[in-house]
Amino acid sequence: MANGWSVIIGLVIVVAMSIAAWFFSPKGENQVLWRSSIILSIASCYLMWAITFLSQLHPLIEPRRSDLRKEYIHH
Amino acid sequence: MAPARDTPFRSADMSMVQLYISNEIGREVVNALGELGLVQFRDLNGDLSAFQRAFTQDIRRLDNVERQLRYFHAQMEKAGIPLRKLDLDVDTLAPPTTTEIDELAERSQSLEQRVSSLNESYETLKKREVELTEWRWVLREAGGFFDRAHGNVDEIRASTDNDDAPLLQDVEHHISAPEVERSFSGMNIGFVAGVIARDRVAAFERILWRTLRGNLYMNQAEIPEPLVDPANNEPVQKNVFVIFAHGKEILAKIRKISESMGADVYNVDENSELRRDQVHEVNARLNDVQSVLGNTQQTLEAELTQISRSLSAWMVLISKEKAVFNTLNLFSYDRARRTLIAEAWIPKHDLPLIRSTLQDVTNRAGLSVPSIINEIRTNKTPPTYLKTNKFTEAFQTIVNAYGTATYQEVNPAIPVFVTFPFLFAVMFGDLGHALIMLSAALAMIYWEKPLKKVTFELFAMVYYGRYIALVMAVFSIFTGLIYNDIFSMSMTLFKSSWEWEVPPDYRPGQTLTARIRDANYRYPFGLDWRWHGTENDLLFTNSYKMKMSIILGWAHMTYSLCFSYINARHFKRPVDIWGNFVPGMIFFQSIFGYLVICIIYKWTVDWFGTGRQPPGLLNMLIYMFLQPGFIDEQLYPGQKQVQILLLLLAVIQVPVLLFLKPFWLRWEHNRARAKGYRGIGERSATSALDDDEDEHQGNGRQSGEGVSMIAQGLDDDDHDEGEGHGHGGHGGEFEFGEVMIHQVIHTIEFCLNCVSHTASYLRLWALSLAHQQLSAVLWSMTMGPALKMTGIGGAIFMVVTFAAFFFLSCVILIVMEGVSAMLHSLRLAWVESFSKFAEFGGWPFAPFSFKQLLEESEELKEYLG
Repeated sequence: MANGWSVIIGLVIVVAMSIAAWFFSPKGENQVLWRSSIILSIASCYLMWAITFLSQLHPLIEPRRSDLRKEYIHH
Repeated sequence: MAPARDTPFRSADMSMVQLYISNEIGREVVNALGELGLVQFRDLNGDLSAFQRAFTQDIRRLDNVERQLRYFHAQMEKAGIPLRKLDLDVDTLAPPTTTEIDELAERSQSLEQRVSSLNESYETLKKREVELTEWRWVLREAGGFFDRAHGNVDEIRASTDNDDAPLLQDVEHHISAPEVERSFSGMNIGFVAGVIARDRVAAFERILWRTLRGNLYMNQAEIPEPLVDPANNEPVQKNVFVIFAHGKEILAKIRKISESMGADVYNVDENSELRRDQVHEVNARLNDVQSVLGNTQQTLEAELTQISRSLSAWMVLISKEKAVFNTLNLFSYDRARRTLIAEAWIPKHDLPLIRSTLQDVTNRAGLSVPSIINEIRTNKTPPTYLKTNKFTEAFQTIVNAYGTATYQEVNPAIPVFVTFPFLFAVMFGDLGHALIMLSAALAMIYWEKPLKKVTFELFAMVYYGRYIALVMAVFSIFTGLIYNDIFSMSMTLFKSSWEWEVPPDYRPGQTLTARIRDANYRYPFGLDWRWHGTENDLLFTNSYKMKMSIILGWAHMTYSLCFSYINARHFKRPVDIWGNFVPGMIFFQSIFGYLVICIIYKWTVDWFGTGRQPPGLLNMLIYMFLQPGFIDEQLYPGQKQVQILLLLLAVIQVPVLLFLKPFWLRWEHNRARAKGYRGIGERSATSALDDDEDEHQGNGRQSGEGVSMIAQGLDDDDHDEGEGHGHGGHGGEFEFGEVMIHQVIHTIEFCLNCVSHTASYLRLWALSLAHQQLSAVLWSMTMGPALKMTGIGGAIFMVVTFAAFFFLSCVILIVMEGVSAMLHSLRLAWVESFSKFAEFGGWPFAPFSFKQLLEESEELKEYLG
C-alpha cells in the first residue's frame, strides 16, 4: 500500500467523486455553482495531496538530525 | 442553448423595456417596482435640469418634511430622549397612499410649530430663570458686603477725621443718630451690583481702574455653582461684584462699562429691610418661573417622546417617497395622453413578474387604462447583473472590486469561490490556526442575526466576509494536515516511511540519517513527520513547496485560460478561439506545461535506485531557451528533440497570436463591405415610438422627445460598446491600425505574463514558508521554554506564556498573516487569473430598489436598528 500506484488510484477516486458531484449537485439556479465549486475543490485538494505524495516518492535527500535522545531513536 | 433561467455562471440576460403608465398611478407603480428592486430606469430627461422636471415640487415638499423630521431628531437628542429605531427585518411598512403622505406632511408641519413654540417659551423662561437666579445671588452676596461694610462705616469716617478735610462731617451730623440706618447714600457713595463671567473679572477690574483712575472700591464674590447660559446651554462660572464709587457720573460710567463687558447689573437696595423684601420677591418669582419651566419641559418631552415612537418610520417613508419622485422625474410625460413613459433595463427572465406587478397595481387602482410594458430592441450594451445570495455575495464583491465583468462573459467569480480560499490556505497551512479561524467563522455564521446589528466598522468587514473565512478555514485545515503543521508542531498520524539508521556505537549528539523503512511504503497523507525538526527540513520543504507553487500556478492559469475559450464561444467569436485561445494555450503549455510534466516525471523516477544523477530542472529550462539542443544532464531519452520541437512550437505561436486575428477581422470586414452590408451603428434608429410620432404630428412634442431620447441613446451607445469590446469589428468604422496595435499589446503582454505570472506563484511558497517559520519562532519563544520548567514556578510561568502564546498566535499568525495571505491570494485571482480570460468591460446593473436605498443611505443609518 501507499506506493506509486496510490496517485493513480487517488485519481480514479477523485474522478469518480467529481462525476458523482456533477450528477448529485442540488438542482436550481445555483447548480452550476455547486458543480464548479465541488469539483474544483476536489481537484485542488487531490492536486495538493498528489504533489506532496509524489515529492516523497523517491526522495533525493534523507532526514538528518543530531539532537535525538537515546529512547527516541528506535521510535 | 439559452439557459432556462439566470445562473451565477454569467450575468443575467437583460432587456430594455418601455413602460406606459397612466399618470394617476405612476407613483404606485414606481413604489411597487421599488419594492421589487429589479428595474433600472434610464433618464429620459437628460437635457432638463433638476428644476425643470415634472415632480420637483413634490420633492421640495418632501425635503421640507424631512427637514422637520430631522429637527425633531435634533430636539430629541438635546432633550436626551431615545429614538425607537426601526428594524427592517421585523417591521414592514405598508406602502403609503398619497393621502397618508399628505397627512404626515401636515402633521409634521403642526408638530414643528408646536415644538418650536414650546422651545421658544422654554428658552425665554430659562433665560428668566437664570436672570432671577443671578439676581438672588447678587442680593445674597451684596447683602453680605453691606452687612460687613456697615459695620465699618465708623472706621471709614474715622480715617477721614484725621485728615484736614472733613468733607462729610456736616452731613454726618444730620443723621448721626445711632439708631438710624447708616447709609452710604448719606455719604454720597453709590454702588453698582451685578454678575460677570469669572474669566472676564480681571479685564473688568483693570478697565474700571484705568477709566476711573482708581476712584472705586470693588468687592466680589464667587458664585459657587455654575450658572447655565441659556443661549448655548453651557455652564458658566460667574462672580458677583459690587462696586462702590463716588458721584453719579462715575456710577453711570461703571454701569456702561459693566454692560459693555457683558456683565448683568441688578438692582439691589442698600436698605436691609427692602433688600429682604426683594429677596423674598425674587424667590417667589423664581419659584413661579421654575414651576412653569417644569411644565413646559414636561410637555415638550411628552411631545417628543410621542414623536420618537414613530419618527424612524416616518423618516423611512419620506425617504422612500422622495426616491419614488426622483425616479418619476426620469420619466417622460406625454401630456396629450396623460401617460408616463419610462425606459428601463430589466432581467429578461423577470419580465413576467414585473408585468404581473404592473397588472396588480393597475387593477387595484381600478383604472380602465392598462399599463403596458414592452420589450424593445436595442444595440446598447446591457448592464451586468450578477445575482448573489448571502454565501456568494462577499466573493462577488471582491471580484467586483476589481471591475465589472463584461455583459454575459463568464462570471470571474466562478473559479474564485474555490481558488481564492484554496490559494490562501496554501499560504496559511497550519491546522491549529485554521481551527481557531474556523470556530470564529462558524460563530459568526451561527449568530448571524444578532451580529448583523453590530456597527463597529472593522467587525462589520470581517462579518461581511464570514463565508469566505469559513471556506478559507476549511481549506486551511486540509493544507495544515498536508503540511503536517499544528501550531508549528507535527502530528504523527501515520507510520513514518523513514527510520533512523542507528550505528551500534551510538552516542547522543551524533548525527543520524534516516533511511526508507519499506521500499513499498510511503507516508500516505501529507508530509512525513520525520522531517520535522531535522537539520535539512527546510531544504526538503523548500524544494517541495516551490515545485508545488509552480504546479498549482500552472493549473490555476490553465484553468483560467480555458474560460477564454468559453467566452469566445459564447460571444460567437471563433477568431478569438483560433487567434487567441489556441496559440496562447500552445505557447503556455509548451513551456510551462512541459516544465510541470518534467517536475512530475522527475519525482516518479528512482534516481539513486537506477544509479543516475538527477538533473536540475531550472537549468534545463534555461538551457532550453539559451542553447536549444544542449542537454546538460539527461532527464529522459529523446529529450533534445522534444525540447527543440516544443520551443519551435512556442515560437511559431507568436506570429499566429500577432497576426491571425487582425487580418481575419480585416478580411471579414472587406468581404461584408463588398456584399454591401454596413455596420450596425451606421443604420438609422428604429424605435417603438416611431408610429406614435406619425399620429401625433401636431402636438407630438412630448412623444417626439421620447424618440429623440432613444435615437440619442443609440449615438452615445456606440461609444460604450466600442469601449466595452475593444476589438473593433463592432459598429462604427473598422480601423485596422487600432486592432493591430491592440493585438500587438495583447501578444506581448500574454507572452511576458506567462513567465512573470508563473514566477509570481512562488509567493505561495514564500508565504507558507514565512508562516511556518514564524509560528515555529513563536513556539520556541513562548511555549518551548515554558514546557521545560518544572514545579510551581513552572506552572505559573506556563499560564503566563500560554496566554502570550495564544494572544500572539491570534493577533500575528492568524490576523496579520491571514490578511497578508489573503491579499496575496487576491492578487493571484485579480492579476494572474483574471488577465487570462476576463475583459471587465461592463457596467453594473443598479436597479431602483428600496431595500438597497435603505441599506446604503448614510442619513438613515441612525434611524434603522
